[in-house]
Amino acid sequence: MRDTSRPVPFARAARAVFDLALEGMVWSRRSLFMAVLLGLPIVFAIVYRVVLATHIPPRVTPFDLYGLLVVPYYLRFAVPLAALFYATALIADEVEGKTLTYLLTRPIRREGILAGKFAAYVVTTLSLAMPAVIVTFFALMTVRGRTGLGAAVPDLLRDLGVLALALLAYGALFTLMGVLLKRPLIPGLLFVFVWELLANLPGYLPRLTLTAYLRSLVRHRPAEEGLSEIFGQVLPAALCLEVLAGAVIVSLAAAAWIFSTREYVMDQ
Amino acid sequence: MPIYEQTYRRHEARGPLRRVRFWPITREALRLILARRWFLALLVAAWLPFVVEVIRIYVVTRFPEANRILPVDGRLFGELLGWQAFFTMFITIFGGAGLVANDLRTGAILVYLSRPLTRRDYVVGKLGVPLLLNLSATLAPGLLLYAVALALAPDLFWKWDLAWIAPAVVVQSLTVSMVMSLVALAVSSLSRSVRVAGLGFFGLLIGLEVARGILYALYRRPETALLSLQADLRSLGVTLFGLADRSVNVPWAYAAAMLAAVSIGCLLVLRSRVRAVEIVQ
Amino acid sequence: MSATLEFVRASRWYGQVIALNDVTTTIGPGVTGLLGPNGAGKSTFLKLAAGQLAPSQGEVRMLGQPAWGSPELFHRVGVCPEADAFWEQLTGLQFLLGLLRLTGYDEAECRQRAENALHEVALLDAKDRKIGGYSKGMRQRVKLAQALAHEPEVLLLDEPVSGMDPVNRRRVVDLVRRLGRAGRTVVVSSHILHEVEAMTRRVLLIHNGRILAEGDVREIRDLMDEHPHTVALRARDTRALARAVVGLPHVISLTFGAEGEWLTVQTAKPDELYGNLAAAAEEAGVSEMYSPDENLESVFRYLVAG
Repeated sequence: MRDTSRPVPFARAARAVFDLALEGMVWSRRSLFMAVLLGLPIVFAIVYRVVLATHIPPRVTPFDLYGLLVVPYYLRFAVPLAALFYATALIADEVEGKTLTYLLTRPIRREGILAGKFAAYVVTTLSLAMPAVIVTFFALMTVRGRTGLGAAVPDLLRDLGVLALALLAYGALFTLMGVLLKRPLIPGLLFVFVWELLANLPGYLPRLTLTAYLRSLVRHRPAEEGLSEIFGQVLPAALCLEVLAGAVIVSLAAAAWIFSTREYVMDQ
Repeated sequence: MPIYEQTYRRHEARGPLRRVRFWPITREALRLILARRWFLALLVAAWLPFVVEVIRIYVVTRFPEANRILPVDGRLFGELLGWQAFFTMFITIFGGAGLVANDLRTGAILVYLSRPLTRRDYVVGKLGVPLLLNLSATLAPGLLLYAVALALAPDLFWKWDLAWIAPAVVVQSLTVSMVMSLVALAVSSLSRSVRVAGLGFFGLLIGLEVARGILYALYRRPETALLSLQADLRSLGVTLFGLADRSVNVPWAYAAAMLAAVSIGCLLVLRSRVRAVEIVQ
Repeated sequence: MSATLEFVRASRWYGQVIALNDVTTTIGPGVTGLLGPNGAGKSTFLKLAAGQLAPSQGEVRMLGQPAWGSPELFHRVGVCPEADAFWEQLTGLQFLLGLLRLTGYDEAECRQRAENALHEVALLDAKDRKIGGYSKGMRQRVKLAQALAHEPEVLLLDEPVSGMDPVNRRRVVDLVRRLGRAGRTVVVSSHILHEVEAMTRRVLLIHNGRILAEGDVREIRDLMDEHPHTVALRARDTRALARAVVGLPHVISLTFGAEGEWLTVQTAKPDELYGNLAAAAEEAGVSEMYSPDENLESVFRYLVAG
C-alpha cells in the first residue's frame, strides 16, 4: 500500500530513475563513441602483439605499455572525458530535452532523481571501461606466454579499483558542474587539461588535483615521463582514498542540494 | 467555383533564384555566435600569439644579436600557425559543434530545406561559419604578421627566397580551417546534442593525438603521425615552413592524402545525415 | 466550494518581467478553464500550481500544502505539460511504466494502470511502438495518459488537445467533463475557446499577469453592463418585430439582415427583451433566436480589448 502522505522512499525512487536513465544511456550513439574511446587501448594491444609477432621490437615492454595506457590514456584522458561526457549531462540533457518536467512531477525527492541518474552513469561507464582494461591487460601480458601473469593480476585489480574511483570522483565533480553551471563544457575541459597539470608540479599544489591522488594509487611509472618524473609525488594510499571519497561525497551532496533548490523553466 | 480543376499549372515565380543561396545561413549563424561576449573574448585571445610574434620581430630588429636566441625567419609563421591550431580547436568546438546538432534536435533542417535551398547550400552555409571563424584566427593573423614583418624587418623579409611565406600561410591556414570545420560539422551531424557533439569533436582530436603519442613512444616512427589529424596538419606545416619536428616528419603527400580522405569521409557523413526527414523504426 | 488550489496574493517575476501579478483565487472540484492570450501568464500560473516554480511573493497552496517543495503532492496531482518532449527511444508503454514506477506502484499495478490509461486515450494498439514514431496527436495523447495513469485528484492540463484530430479532441473533451463530474479538480489551459466552452462554463481569464474575470461564463457576461448584448432573431415579418421593440428604453440599436429575414437587436437588458418579445414573437412569426455574443470568445475579446 502506498503512503501518499510522503514521497516515494529514496532508494525506490532512485532505483526507478536508474532504470529509466540506464536504458537511454546504454543504447545511445554517445555510448558507442565512448566504447570506441575506452576500447582504443585494445587496438594498441593487438597492434603490439601483431607487430611484435613480426619481430619489429617496440621500445617498451608489455607491462610498460600497459602502464602507459592506464596512466596517460585512461586516468588522464579517457576516464575524465567519459565523466565529462556523461556526468555534466545528467540533468542538463533532461532540461534541454524538456523531459525534466516528467521527473519533477512525480512524488519523489529531487535528490533521488540525481542519485538514480548518477548510478546509471557509474554503471554505464564501468561496464564500458572495465572490460576494455581487462582485455587490454590480458592481451599485453600474454604476449610472452603466461609467465608472470599471476603476479601481475593484483596490479590489474588495483588498476580496476583506481579507474572505478576515478570515474566516481570525476563523475561527482562534473555532476556538480553540470548542475551549477549553465555551460559546464569549457570549465570541465579546462579542469581536466589545464588544472590537473598541477599534479606535475612540486610542493603542495598537486594536492589540489584529483590526478595526484589517483596516480599515487597506481604503481605504474611509464618508462619515460621526462620532467614530470622528477616532480611526480606519491601520496600515502590512505590519504588518497580519504580525499577521493570525500570529494565524491561533497560534490554529490552539493549537487543534490543545488538541484533540489533550483527552479527549472522549460518553455516551448 | 468552390472546387478547383486539378490540371497542371505553371509555377509563376517572380524572379530567378539567387546564385549565392548559402550566404544567409552563414551570415545569421555568425551574427548569433558573435553576439556572445565570451566567444568574442576567445577570438581576441586567439590573437595573443600574433602579438607575441610581433614583439619578437621588433626585439630582433632592435637587438640583432637576439636573432640567435629568438630566430626570426620563415619558420616564425609556421610556429604561429602551430599555436593557432590550438585556438582553432576551441573556436571550432564553440562555433561549429552545435551547428547541425541543434537543427537536428529542433527539426529546423526541415525548415531550411522547405526553402529554395539544396542540401549542398545548407552544408556549405553551415561550413562557412567555423571556416570563417577559423580563418580569422589563422589566415588573418598569419598574413598580417607577414605584412608587419615586411614593414618592421624589411632587411630580413624583403627577399625573393622568402616570397613563399605568404602562399604557405594561405595553404596552411586554409587546410587547418577547412579540415577542422569539416570534421566538426560531420561530428555535429551525428548527434542531437551540442554538448555531445563538442565533446565528441574534442575527444576525436585529442584521442587520436594521445593514441599517436603512445604509438610513437612504442616505435619512434614518424609514420604514426598519420593516425592523428593534428599531427597530419603539423606535418604539413613542417613541410611548408621547414620546421624541426621529427615526430611528425612524414612525406607531405601522405599527410595530405590522409587529410583528403578524412575530408571526403566527413562529406559522406554529412550527405547521409543531413536530411529533412528521419525515419524512425 | 472547497479549495483544492489556492493562490493568495501570488506574484511571480523573472528579472524585470512580471509574469503573474498579485493573483488571489481558489479553484475547487470540477473543470476550470484557464484562458488568456499568449504571454498572459497562464503557463506561469500552471507552473506555480504544479510546484515547478516558487512564487516570488504570496502563497500557492495545493490540497492544503505549499505547492513548491512538496513532492508527495504528486501522488494526487497529475500534470500534462505543453512541451512536446519525450524520451523518444521508449515505447508508449515503457514511457508510462517508467513514470508509474516513479509514483511508487509495484510492477503488476504499473502495468495495469499503464494499459488502462493507454486505453482511455485510444493508444493501446500503439503501445509497443516507439514514441519517436508517433504522430503529433498520438504524442499528445500519450502525454495525457501519463497524467491520468495514477488517477490523481487534481489534473493540470496545459493545451491538452493541441495537435489532435477532431475525433480525439472530442474524446478528450468528454474525458475531461467526465473527470469534472466525478469530483476531480481539472484545470485546463487552452487557446481553443470553443473547446474550453465544451468542457466547462467555469473559467479564469488572465491577461498581463492579472486575473480579468473568474466564474461562470454567463455570470461574467451578465456583469458586463456597459457592453450591450446582441440578440439575433429570424422572423417572417422583421419590420413588425422591429416596431414592437424599437420603443423599449433598453434597446440600443436595431439592424436588419441583408435579405430582411433577420433582425439583430442590441440591448442593455437581454432578459427584459426576452420578456418583451414574448408577445410580438408569434405575431411576427419568429422562427429562430440566438445570442451570438453569449459565448466565451466574445466575453474574452471584450475583456481583453476593454
